[in-house]
Amino acid sequence: MGLRWYNFALWAAFIGGMFLLPEFVSKGTLRTIIFANFLAIFAISWDVLSGRTGYISFGHPFLIGIGAYTTAILSKRFDLPLEYSIPIAVIVTMIAGFIVFLPALRLKGSYFALVTLAFMELMYQLVQVFRPDLTGGTRGISGIQTLTRGAANGYYMSLSLMLAVALSMWLLMRTRVGTALSAIGMNEESVSGSGLNTTKLKLFAFLTSAFVAGLGGAFYVHYLGSIAPRALFDINFLFTIIVAALIGGSSTIVGPMIGAFFLTFLLEYLRPYLPGAERYFIYGGIALLLYMYQPKGMYEIFMQGWAKLRSGRAA
Amino acid sequence: MTHALKITNLVKRFGGLVATNDLSFQIEPGQSVGLIGPNGAGKTTVFSQIMGEHRQTSGNIHLFGQEISALSTPARIRHGVSRTYQVPRPFGELNVLENIRVGFMPDSIWQMITRGPNRDKEVELALSVGFSENDLLRTPDELSMGDLRKLEMARTMATAPRVMLLDEVFAGLTVGEIAQIASLIQQMRRDGMTFLMVSHDLKALEPLVDTAIAITYGSKIAEGPFSDVMADPDVRSSYLGAA
Repeated sequence: MGLRWYNFALWAAFIGGMFLLPEFVSKGTLRTIIFANFLAIFAISWDVLSGRTGYISFGHPFLIGIGAYTTAILSKRFDLPLEYSIPIAVIVTMIAGFIVFLPALRLKGSYFALVTLAFMELMYQLVQVFRPDLTGGTRGISGIQTLTRGAANGYYMSLSLMLAVALSMWLLMRTRVGTALSAIGMNEESVSGSGLNTTKLKLFAFLTSAFVAGLGGAFYVHYLGSIAPRALFDINFLFTIIVAALIGGSSTIVGPMIGAFFLTFLLEYLRPYLPGAERYFIYGGIALLLYMYQPKGMYEIFMQGWAKLRSGRAA
Repeated sequence: MTHALKITNLVKRFGGLVATNDLSFQIEPGQSVGLIGPNGAGKTTVFSQIMGEHRQTSGNIHLFGQEISALSTPARIRHGVSRTYQVPRPFGELNVLENIRVGFMPDSIWQMITRGPNRDKEVELALSVGFSENDLLRTPDELSMGDLRKLEMARTMATAPRVMLLDEVFAGLTVGEIAQIASLIQQMRRDGMTFLMVSHDLKALEPLVDTAIAITYGSKIAEGPFSDVMADPDVRSSYLGAA
């Protein structure tokens, strides 16, 4: 895809607008956008692995949780400064990513997805019974050191992190490695039949995905200042990540970002009318309709609209 | 002289079924050999074993003097042997150039990231197998069967093989497409490529091979010049069911 001047201009305007946003919107809205930023990071992480290679991970809360718990425990229980605890958390998450990768050597499709779901459940049970003095058991951990104070600063932090992750993943996926990972999702045997070691490529995808998940999880916990296992290892959280990536448009970096913002605001605006889990029913319905209309997601709808607009102008 | 490919006492059993039965043959560098036999004779299974997609029960496979039986499929490809498939297996959402790009990729993630694709080489290869400039950005769902076979040939050639295994390259093609692929193979033979080919289209196969090997039930029944093999009574009875 060639980049033109208006691509850069649009992105610069968008990013500039995003940084000016705290001047115009309420703190409540800012907090909603902060969650959307983190959800975008998690959705990008999921998409780099599952959207590309087709190895559907139901275990992303497991990876995010490893990152979040590691830095929370290190900083809260062992008084380790955040500049050490966060990088360590990312490395530990990558090790966890390697563990999730192991079943991918033998399993594919729904079997692989189910095994990763087991990882999430296992982690949920483990934090409750294993050293509750460290993990806080079912109640989780509160009073964790936060990186920022106030909604505006939290917003700037989450936005910068999200943009940095999106840009670096976009650059990475534009290289031949992105093509190779997509090719695995389309036909793994043909990739191996082209002389490429698919195990190595898949491991790279898992570690990259875990890196982003760990980074997002660690920053998220230091934004919230607390960790609650029930909310983290929750099937609704897992599906929000996956649906964000899919309805936004998988195998693109912009798609999961669009999806994350769309879902977050949808859930937030539905809250006054449907305070309970019924909201998920609505978003399930919207996801379903969108799929029937355009399986490639909202990104594709925008691109087609843009193409139509340009050809209309040229004619 | 080192053989390009040397198969020695190859046996493959699937449970009680003997798919390859003590098969031995060799191909010299630059030689083109046809592997023929009726449906179910075990031709494709021989290909799968050479590529390491199936491991043989016993026997040896040497590529330019090196035993490759212990190597993985990608490692064998890097040693210089590549195959095409009866049913082409393109990457559905990648265009022609990107499909070929995968074949050109080095098996190093670092190099994949730090070095961009060589578009000139991709275009050159695509044009050399008979694609036009207009086809380069098409995706496989917009291509005919003949184009899909050309794409498969191109991606296989991009891995820089010294020995190519072609499985039913003429299946599902029009007369014009057969002529196009045949002339491509002839050109590659002149350039010194070594071939092992499977085809049911014996008429199309004949001018492309130096010798032929006939197998049935996994065993070799004849080997030699194409016309001699086709005249062999065992070969005739295996094809026609009666002598």
